[in-house]
Amino acid sequence: MRTLKTSEAAALLNVSPNTLRAWERRFGYPKPQRSAGKHRLYTHGEVAALRDALQQGLSISSAVSRAREALSTDTHTLVGALAGFELDRADSAMESALALRSVERAVEEVLLPSLDELGERFGTDSAPWAFASRWASGWLRRAQRLAPPPVRRLAILVGDATRSELDPDALAVRAFELFCGRSGARVLALPVGSVSGLSDVVASFAPDAVVVAGHHLADDDVALWAYRVRASAGPLPMTQFRGAHQAAPVRTTGSRILSPAPFAAHRELLAFIDERRGDGDRESAPSVAQVTRTLREAQR
Amino acid sequence: MRRLRALRPVEVDERGLELVSFCGHCGLRPAPLAAPPASRVCGHCGLGLVLQANADLAPRQDEPFLIVDTSLSVCAMSAAAEELFGIDETDAVNKHIADFLVPADANAPSAENLLALLVDVAGGSGEACTTVVRPRQEFGVRFWARIGPCGSPRAALLVLS
Repeated sequence: MRTLKTSEAAALLNVSPNTLRAWERRFGYPKPQRSAGKHRLYTHGEVAALRDALQQGLSISSAVSRAREALSTDTHTLVGALAGFELDRADSAMESALALRSVERAVEEVLLPSLDELGERFGTDSAPWAFASRWASGWLRRAQRLAPPPVRRLAILVGDATRSELDPDALAVRAFELFCGRSGARVLALPVGSVSGLSDVVASFAPDAVVVAGHHLADDDVALWAYRVRASAGPLPMTQFRGAHQAAPVRTTGSRILSPAPFAAHRELLAFIDERRGDGDRESAPSVAQVTRTLREAQR
Repeated sequence: MRRLRALRPVEVDERGLELVSFCGHCGLRPAPLAAPPASRVCGHCGLGLVLQANADLAPRQDEPFLIVDTSLSVCAMSAAAEELFGIDETDAVNKHIADFLVPADANAPSAENLLALLVDVAGGSGEACTTVVRPRQEFGVRFWARIGPCGSPRAALLVLS
């Protein structure tokens, strides 16, 4: 996927960088990603679609609407391919989506909405849904295998509380795992239903955070699993992704509830872990009084 | 030579009427240029595209206006119109014009007259005219509306005054 810096995108559209940033605030388009140095990076496909739409538009709003429509054709193609049981065409639709977007955006803007549409059209207990969700699950796993190796000293344990591969939440959980993996973390997903031998796996994996994902299992089962994990790895930060709280608000025992969208959820989780590590560092750092006392003792 | 410098280029339509440029968002008229600008985006506000209309029709400063295509969908809404209707252009675009304005002229009470007029103008067959309209579901408020072609691409401009 080709990306453009703000100045390059502005030059392609014949506007100033300030105008481009004003469009981002007002229209939410083009929507840049951020580089490692927090600079805006625009997708070439989005900018090119807007440039074409501006030539035929009567306002920037209508051009943005037209550009968005042009980009949504990948979703229509993917829905059509999966509804017609054409795996090759579905793979091609995702390839096209990846030409214009990052993996994260291709998953969130094309793959997951397409599957939502198919779920609504056929029902999540139907054969077409099973066909489509298996393909999507396989695609996400392939993408996870192709992700760069972990570079962060960060391990995330995902407690999978979804019903099965056909659970509509399962795809979001796979996407969440993919995004965490692509952020450089080590990710291990274990079913919440099985606790046998759990302590050995957890001790070996040494997670920094635990995410309970999905809401198919009973609260007691989830609580037992979480208890076993904490008994083995200590008091780890607990978070919930697509838990029962989405259907009906429930009391949580100090665990952080993540956004239902996988990309936002993975960003929140990483920020949460960084925040806790920051607190940890501050706690372990000696205070000014402690340093003064140590120096005085040393002088004596 | 001095007199030649004071001259400004004037664009005219097919009937020889003067055309002026204006921003589809702020309504500001950019200074005429000898060469066509590199970008259609308004250099003043950066939030609208520069369009052209007949000098008599084009909005004057702070006059609210809307632009409608042949499908009667709103394609642009000025900043003053956003304030008047209490809606952002981003939410108004692609909505039907009848969601915002209805005829208020006692002589032309049917909605079809206004809509047919807009379709004709946007399609290129209608003439510029003036009519009376009111905001939908608002009574006791009326506006004179100047309606005529604008572009490009060709559409109907509806200026409220």
